[in-house]
Amino acid sequence: MTQLSQVAGGRGVSHAPPSGRLRDRARPWLYLAPVIVALLVWVYGPLVFTGVLSFMDWNLTAPHPSWVGTDNYTLLTDDPRFGEAVRNTLVYAAAMLPFATLVPMALAVALWKRPGRVSNVYRTLLFLPVVLAPVATAVVWQFLLDPLSGLVNVALGWFGLDPRNWLGDPSSALYVIVLITALKVVALNTLLFGAALATLDRGLLEAAALDGATEWDITRHLVLPHLRRALVLLGLLSLVVTWPWIFSNVAVLTQGGPDGSTDNVYYRMFLYAFAFFDAGTASAAAVVITAGLAVVLGLGLLLTGRRQRVVT
Amino acid sequence: MSSPSRTDARPAPALVAPTLVAPTQLAPAPVPARRGTGRRIARTVAHHAFLLAAVAVMVLPVLWALAVSFKTPGGVFDENPLPWPATLDNYRVATQDFPVWRLLLNTTVMAAGATLLQLLFAVPGAYALARFPPRGHRAVEALIVVTLLVPPQSLIIPLFLMVTELGWRNTYPGLILPQLVGTGLAVMLLRDHIRAVPATVLGAAVLDGARPGEALRMVVLPLLRPALGAVSILLFITSWNEYLWPSLIAPGMEDTTIQPGLAFFLTQEGSAYGPLLAGSMLATLPVVAAYLLASRRVTDAFMHSGLR
Amino acid sequence: MNPVRMATRLRRSPRAGIALIAATTLAALTACGGADSPAADAGTDSSSDQPITISFLSYNYGTPDIGGQGTQALIDAFEKAHPNITIKPQGVAVADVLTRLQTDTAAGSPPDVAQIGWSKMAAAYELLPIVPVQDIPPAADWDAAMEGFSENLLSAVAVDGKVKAVPYTISIPVIFYNADLFRQAGLDPAKPPTTIAEVKAAALAVTDKTDAEGVYLAVADPGKSDYMTQSVIASNGGREVGADGMPAFDQPAAVSALATVADLTSSGAQPAIAATNAVAAFSAGKLSMLIGSTAIAASLQKAADGKFELATTGFPSFGDKPAAPTYSGAGLAVLAKDPARQQAAWEFIKFLTSAEGFTIITSQIGYLPLRPALATDPKYLAPYFASNDLLSPALAQLDDVSPYQSFTGKNASKAVVTLQDEAIEPIVLRGADPAATLSAVAGDIRGFLAQK
Repeated sequence: MTQLSQVAGGRGVSHAPPSGRLRDRARPWLYLAPVIVALLVWVYGPLVFTGVLSFMDWNLTAPHPSWVGTDNYTLLTDDPRFGEAVRNTLVYAAAMLPFATLVPMALAVALWKRPGRVSNVYRTLLFLPVVLAPVATAVVWQFLLDPLSGLVNVALGWFGLDPRNWLGDPSSALYVIVLITALKVVALNTLLFGAALATLDRGLLEAAALDGATEWDITRHLVLPHLRRALVLLGLLSLVVTWPWIFSNVAVLTQGGPDGSTDNVYYRMFLYAFAFFDAGTASAAAVVITAGLAVVLGLGLLLTGRRQRVVT
Repeated sequence: MSSPSRTDARPAPALVAPTLVAPTQLAPAPVPARRGTGRRIARTVAHHAFLLAAVAVMVLPVLWALAVSFKTPGGVFDENPLPWPATLDNYRVATQDFPVWRLLLNTTVMAAGATLLQLLFAVPGAYALARFPPRGHRAVEALIVVTLLVPPQSLIIPLFLMVTELGWRNTYPGLILPQLVGTGLAVMLLRDHIRAVPATVLGAAVLDGARPGEALRMVVLPLLRPALGAVSILLFITSWNEYLWPSLIAPGMEDTTIQPGLAFFLTQEGSAYGPLLAGSMLATLPVVAAYLLASRRVTDAFMHSGLR
Repeated sequence: MNPVRMATRLRRSPRAGIALIAATTLAALTACGGADSPAADAGTDSSSDQPITISFLSYNYGTPDIGGQGTQALIDAFEKAHPNITIKPQGVAVADVLTRLQTDTAAGSPPDVAQIGWSKMAAAYELLPIVPVQDIPPAADWDAAMEGFSENLLSAVAVDGKVKAVPYTISIPVIFYNADLFRQAGLDPAKPPTTIAEVKAAALAVTDKTDAEGVYLAVADPGKSDYMTQSVIASNGGREVGADGMPAFDQPAAVSALATVADLTSSGAQPAIAATNAVAAFSAGKLSMLIGSTAIAASLQKAADGKFELATTGFPSFGDKPAAPTYSGAGLAVLAKDPARQQAAWEFIKFLTSAEGFTIITSQIGYLPLRPALATDPKYLAPYFASNDLLSPALAQLDDVSPYQSFTGKNASKAVVTLQDEAIEPIVLRGADPAATLSAVAGDIRGFLAQK
């Protein structure tokens, strides 16, 4: 029952079985059963259902869905809006990445370096954007970004910049949505990076400092390597968890416009399902999104996993 | 009993990397006598400038919302950011003409319930995967990791039909149980945290005759507090901010949560921004409280430098 | 969420935890067994005199503002007059009405009566089990109840000669204007513009002589309603949707109507901003004219209070053609299956659209009295109109309203969104070529309306 080789640092421990082999073999499954069943029921079941629905034509209320084969998929590939939504989704993900990784990591490290009351105040203040309700967040930015009198344009005016219609301009709207949403992502991930840093042994750093390591040395060789896996995971996670927040900003502020520039596959899926009541096309979009994400994240996990093994 | 396949099992990326980095590669340089206090001051100034700038940007929308929540209907559209003349009328509307407390209660029950439920399912599973992975644990891990790739939004139609079928519309189970969709994330995060619990600590417990269940309760969970704090904040916040699911499954005015509830202020007869933002200010209170409670776990560990 | 307490609880009562897991797992497992038959509606069979409760889905109810208070007042007055009928009101965010009805119907529990916006009405007829209101009472009853109701409107909403949903909270677009800005610009607030050309001239006078913006014609709005598009096109003698339910907005009259609106923007008379920004600017006293629905009259009045003098005038005409605005707002539809509930629903609708009902609707929520005689009746709304004439120009145009036109088929909602997003907004805000854009989008919409 040794898993020493498996655990980084070889800190695995085995429970010497005091009694009964069978019980021993069954025990892990006893512990795992709830989560396995939960995921089968709430993820895999619905996933199969979605797959089946993607071959149906159904508006949710009609007594019987009708089988339409791959029509829904053809409809998606033929719809230039879906193609544009896919492209925008990739831009969203790429633009959001630094705000899910580098920015919160820098903040978390800065906070961690000087622990104390002041840092705790900073930490709490930095967390605030997450606390503000999504609809309220969107409404506030509607004010701040008002093309005629919004604070953002007023502030830019102090630097001699002309006012712009940030959300009304197809060339800037997507990035503005990213920035607005980024505040929440940064806030949450700063906290999570902070949790990751909590397991880093300060004594070690003090020792290194005594040995004459500069602050940068310590950051570079001790802190950042410690955060590498958190960095990868939060980066990948941002591909999954930020969409509801982007969604609420898009729904209130731009509704996918102007000229489809802030549209994305999640918003489009919502439109298909609950604005156009086309459960089949929505399901087809869901299947495409899931498959796409699986490929991207699967590759990501595979690559980082391989690198991880090289590193550790 | 160790199989070769298990040997190359590699830990998936962890939120909190359990790896304690060895103090290597740092050449023992001579201790610099005095690197000048000027430099240290400059560094301190840079440190605070960086954090203050970040805080300014991050806090701006919240302060703006707070200010508008005290503005009069006529003042809402004024350029003056300060709420003058100030009024409490928006708070009166939000609390008297709108069931804000009821919705906050619903949201708290939903978010706390979803967090608790996910942890209840995730902790034993993570413990088993970290400490006594069964034969076939790779398959289990794959099954869990794949659920991380499924965007919950894409399951909404089937989930809606399931919950409707169970007669759980406008109920807490209907709001909470489908959020088990995200349990996989908690399992993977916690698994790596549990692995980080030093063998010596657990070994001692086992030697003392503790059964796995007892070791989990007596040793692992207490050591896991910072991780549980961070993971529960993540789960709580995600659930708290949920908009689409409650609006579909619990649309009733008294049954829904605060997020869809706030949309009631954006009416056909004009948007009541003041009351909306007053309501949203009240809605921040439970989250701030939850954060303060949970983050103390995170911060304590933070202050006491890592694992004890 | 307190993880400490959670951990403690786990530590203290592991059995409780396991029991909970087991229970939820079991509950979840039963979910697998479910088939796809929606739960049956627990309909009650009761004759008309027995106590009965019907549900009423309304996007005004529950709104923490005048709409909610007015709706509550209506319900209270009805229950007082009909003690045997209890109304169970259900609130819903206005953006979610159709979604809610669709999901409620899918769940087997649609409301008995629902307030549905006209831009969603065609989709509602298509998707939902709506019982035409006119079919519920005997013809004589119907005629008696509708005596004095705006005939033009009733015939405008009728589908194949039958009223399926009764007009309820109705508004039509008007010009809101800031009389103070008019004076500053040297215009006479007593003689507001009546044609779109005069609107443009007045707007340019304002931008010329003051810091304020000129006019905003809210033809592209975040709610993706096309009532203003229809109003503009119909006032120029065209149609947005042909009699066949297919796009007609690529015809010359429609194209030139939108070109006229686009010209407001390109000439600088209209700022190229979103409708929400325009409402904010007008409320702040920085926009002299807002052409929008009377629904927002009360909230504009609130914002203007003590800041500037707010006035209204009728929807502008295009050249010498008569102004023909389209109504927006909502109608009342019946979804009850059970005859007793349908009867109760009819009683409720009859009351809401009665003289007493419209007195409350107009004076408390600010929608038009669809029984025009009430405005001058001292028993009903004469006192209201004596002190508040913001709605008067709209009331005067009630006889000119053109029917709301709907696209055909199950993709009707998609057609409206496509038209608004891909043609109207680019044309009026971003200088897209009207003829080319409208014709391209019309082709696209024809394509998917014909599908499946």
